[in-house]
Amino acid sequence: MRLPRFFGKKRGHRRTGSQAWGSIGEAVFYAALGGAGLGFAGLLLTGSLGVGADEKALPWARWWLWLFSMLIPGALLAFGIAGLVRIVRGWGKSEERQAAVEGLANLLGSMAPPEDGDRRPPGVPACDDLVNSPGTILRYRLPIESPESWTLVGMGLFAVLWNAVLVVLAVGAGLDLLSGRVEWVLLAVIVPFLIVGVAGVALFVRRLFLTTAVGTTQLEISDHPLLPGNSYGVLLAQGGSGTFESIALTLEVEEMASFRQGTDTRTERVIVWREVVKGWSGVQITPGVRFETHATITIPDGVMHSFASEHNAVRWRIVVSGRPERWAAFTRVFPLVVHPAVSDPQAKVRPLDTAAEVLP
Amino acid sequence: MTANDRANGTVRQAMPRVSMQFDRAVRIYAPEQELAARYDVEGVLCDTVRAVEQSVLWYTEGKGEEDLGVHHFRRFEAAAERAEAVPSGTVTVRLPASPLSYEGVIVKIRWCVRLRLFFATGRDFVSEHMFDLGHLAPARGLVERLV
Amino acid sequence: MITSARDPSVGNPFCTRHVRPGRLLSLDATGRPVDLAPLVSKLAAAGISAAVVGPHGSGKTTLLGHLADALEARCERVIRMRVGRARDAVKLLGAVAGARPGGIICVDGWERLGVAWAFVVRQSASAAGVRLLVTAHRAGPLPTLWECTTTPALLEAIVASLPGGGCGSIQEADVQEAFRAASGDIREALFLLYDTFEARARTARQASA
Repeated sequence: MRLPRFFGKKRGHRRTGSQAWGSIGEAVFYAALGGAGLGFAGLLLTGSLGVGADEKALPWARWWLWLFSMLIPGALLAFGIAGLVRIVRGWGKSEERQAAVEGLANLLGSMAPPEDGDRRPPGVPACDDLVNSPGTILRYRLPIESPESWTLVGMGLFAVLWNAVLVVLAVGAGLDLLSGRVEWVLLAVIVPFLIVGVAGVALFVRRLFLTTAVGTTQLEISDHPLLPGNSYGVLLAQGGSGTFESIALTLEVEEMASFRQGTDTRTERVIVWREVVKGWSGVQITPGVRFETHATITIPDGVMHSFASEHNAVRWRIVVSGRPERWAAFTRVFPLVVHPAVSDPQAKVRPLDTAAEVLP
Repeated sequence: MTANDRANGTVRQAMPRVSMQFDRAVRIYAPEQELAARYDVEGVLCDTVRAVEQSVLWYTEGKGEEDLGVHHFRRFEAAAERAEAVPSGTVTVRLPASPLSYEGVIVKIRWCVRLRLFFATGRDFVSEHMFDLGHLAPARGLVERLV
Repeated sequence: MITSARDPSVGNPFCTRHVRPGRLLSLDATGRPVDLAPLVSKLAAAGISAAVVGPHGSGKTTLLGHLADALEARCERVIRMRVGRARDAVKLLGAVAGARPGGIICVDGWERLGVAWAFVVRQSASAAGVRLLVTAHRAGPLPTLWECTTTPALLEAIVASLPGGGCGSIQEADVQEAFRAASGDIREALFLLYDTFEARARTARQASA
């Protein structure tokens, strides 16, 4: 662990102190936040701060004031824990790599630059997470790049928690009213809570409806990783209900470059090659019966393989895009890893599974 | 440079010139092929060179921060070793399978043999000599910019 | 210094390798190099904290880097830091605590600290006898050492300084258009010129193939 250096010519990224010391400082800060939260909560619970359950001793104290008061230490504790977790996860990693990892939570472990001891071709990302799910018909089932389920879960969680607090407040206010007490401050607080709560539920229900209506998209592939000059079978399975004006399967190559613009880190992504593998129009999908179809993708000869370094990447992907009749268009991305062409002409690529040969 | 200059310690280091000859005229190498290059350093007094570093590496170029991967590295520091590296030397290495040289739109990958000379004055001089690993066609161009 | 056996005009002269902060000279609005000596003397003599101000992409980070180099060359004790988020204030306070009196901390991205943290860091530095040299988008509590402004002439001078003089495929009209499209943000304009150069080089390559 490098000690802070204040003298000497700066080289490389010109960071003067050790990142470790910086992280330690941050960890102390977040630990202090969490400690403050715990301490505050403890004082509240023991009634030391006067916001307690003993309303007879303190006639101005109200149960709902006590509830709100607990939110402050709760928030401090949550920030403290979240900060410490973030520091532990990011220990030793650059800001750019952390930003990249946080952006694609599920899959960037598999797309991370190769580490020492790896047997992959140098500069080629790992595909372990892309081949750990067997397909039902073809060899592998590909994971989706940014699963919408996480967004749905997040929205649902927020709606549940927020409305739980709202219910507690509303019940309490109701009981107060029944006992002849009118808490105007509480009623005023409930109004914005109600607005946000209703909006949260509405957004969640809408998203749930959309996800259900459009349905899940699954993609299986006959082999992985891929090699230039070879063809592979894919099986597309689209769920949902209703009519889809069009569904298209596209093979793409994306370049990604992240750079520091002053104090911002920005990432630019461009598609440099695209081939529409297959398209369908007027697809009728019945609930419970998925639209399943086979296709063949071919990785052309002489193309760039998948590449990943700390700030730059070349990524291959299959994109399934659909246009449902009654809903907004959707796009689902399935990452692939293409290795450099084998140098040994005797080496053969594993043929398509005979049980899953692509049918015209 | 005169003897007086040396005695006074006011040796001025002229800019070195490095010429490098690869074993392939076209400088395009297949993955896992052996690369051999011979170089000559001119305009340098060998006894002013403190150390020499040879490396074979790739780096990215384009719109992103530069990344770099060193495939081969050798440092010559002891006097007996330095004689192997200046005023002339050779670099022989088996190249890896990847990453291939790539002429993309916002990401490019370049390979080079890099020679770094460290002088007793504290200065250093770097010379890069490019070659291609693999023979990929350049990316055709921008299809779509993603937001 | 790097010399290359390859023709320098082959690569894109606007790639980050050539245009990132620190690779370009600090130029003023007329395109002439900024004279660092009086700025450095002013900082050293007054023993004050100061700011380099200017809009996005106007060369603040580049100038800050060159000033830090110049201060180090004068044997000043310099610490360099970059602020990305408000929580970097903790690291900054640590640097202030560890710096010796009379030292300078060069901070890129001062405004990202936020008003409260900026006040705390300023007061801590003042109490510790440590000077601050920061970059900011607008003038604030710290006196302005230099104001960066951008002009088409500045962009033209930068382009001319790039390998190959920016190369023949980029004309003055392209530079003017890039400056206009980027609303004066030099960094953004250089990236637009990257795209222009790249597209033309690709077209030329395909035409000759």
